[in-house]
Amino acid sequence: MSLRNALLASLSGVLLLGTLGAHADTLEDIKARGVLTVGIKNDYQPYGYLNDQGQNVGFEIELARYIAAELLGSPDKIELVPVVAANRIEFLNTGRIDLVMATLGVTPEREKVIDFTVPYVSAAGASILARKEAKFTQWEQLRGQNVCGIQGSFFNKTVTEQYGIRLVNFTALPEAYRGLKDNRCVAMAFDDMSLRKKLEEPGWEDYKIAVEPYEYLPMAGGVRKGDEAFLEAVNAAIVKAEGENKLIEWERDYDMPASEYIAQRAEAARSASE
Amino acid sequence: MFGLDFTWLLDPTYQGWLVEGVWITLQLAAVSSLAALVIGLFGALGLTLRLWWLDALIELFVEVFRNTPPLLQMLFFYFTLTQLGFTIEDPVTGLQQPLFNAFFSASVSLSLFGGALCVEAFRSGLDAVPKATLEAARSLGYGRWALFRRVQAPIATRICLPGLTNVLTNLFKTTSQASVITVPELMYAAGQVYNDTFRTLEAMLLVLVIYVALVSLLSWALLRLERLFAYPGYGQGV
Repeated sequence: MSLRNALLASLSGVLLLGTLGAHADTLEDIKARGVLTVGIKNDYQPYGYLNDQGQNVGFEIELARYIAAELLGSPDKIELVPVVAANRIEFLNTGRIDLVMATLGVTPEREKVIDFTVPYVSAAGASILARKEAKFTQWEQLRGQNVCGIQGSFFNKTVTEQYGIRLVNFTALPEAYRGLKDNRCVAMAFDDMSLRKKLEEPGWEDYKIAVEPYEYLPMAGGVRKGDEAFLEAVNAAIVKAEGENKLIEWERDYDMPASEYIAQRAEAARSASE
Repeated sequence: MFGLDFTWLLDPTYQGWLVEGVWITLQLAAVSSLAALVIGLFGALGLTLRLWWLDALIELFVEVFRNTPPLLQMLFFYFTLTQLGFTIEDPVTGLQQPLFNAFFSASVSLSLFGGALCVEAFRSGLDAVPKATLEAARSLGYGRWALFRRVQAPIATRICLPGLTNVLTNLFKTTSQASVITVPELMYAAGQVYNDTFRTLEAMLLVLVIYVALVSLLSWALLRLERLFAYPGYGQGV
């Protein structure tokens, strides 16, 4: 869950394996094999998760299938490999997967060991969930207040340091939600997407997102370093999907809040192709 | 050798968390140890009165709190009691607030858990006073209260001190479980530090050293107490 957590764990693996990367030409390889192997999440709604039938679905899965269709002619010429934050970069650099599309945030540390595709989503960091009658709208207004959270979240330090918030950190999400409902805290700070999903559940009608995230992190796919031809082909496919408003469609299909970032990228993709 | 990196210790935020963690651990241990001793003392004294209903009551208390995990008790006092309606109305917002905050819930559960163990420790001390000694005192004309104060209690105290040392050091270590109900004690602070820095080994080593230091200090103090109170034939005086 924690992005920084993910980042550092994967980095440590990569330090050992980074040198093994740099396959010759992945584009040639996958065309010869006839299948694109993509590392995806299977536990992170709406980006990549399992539906009721146990199939891998989600925003990033749609995009991965689209890329497979562009590169190999069919969205089914794809092998989906579930990855977690701690092993996704290792899987990529050891050749287990060709492309990683698993809620991968673009960071300078990762840039050193893999190449990023063009970013396709701007993922929100933490936001604040509170009762409907809450008056605060800014992080600064929560200074000195008790705010429920989760132990080990990557933003805990920033929130404490910059906004002086007194975090009451639980070990897991159900307890933290319980703590909020028991009024142990005036609000709860957590991953924006998760909080918004929570609001859709019954029993949360009296709550709202009171404060918007203070940071956004672009999310992109990842390929092995120096894999120029493949990277170019993947990028072209993503931009094509953006230009066709596919990402806006998938955003709607998976009940994601409409993001300006995706809309702007769609616009930019169209004006570039004209 | 292991590439240990302690540079994160220079970060003022982490320093603040860890110092607060140690302070809260100490407070929690002090409050619950004192309360446990008081509970234990009264419980054991209650048992000497030989009243069947009081015996049954104390027995029940000991069985319940000694035989359930302290973690479960903390969760009970923190979450379950709130769910059962132990709340008060906040005069400003009009919302129902939990009656017991995290620190209080942790203190109460640790006090009761430690108290149950202390009852047993004190009782074992009282039981271990030789019958012959008591009979000898009685034959010398000691009344019930004088017998207890002059003979039974002094010997029993010496006998149960090592047992109490065990209970109190264990209780000190059990305070770490309060992190689960958001008490920002030492383990809670360490958890956040290693989640941020990924220096799990270093953070755990630091916490280990701090606990060893604090618990050693406590058991050393209790050992001194044993020596100080030693009788020939009882405790450390032999």
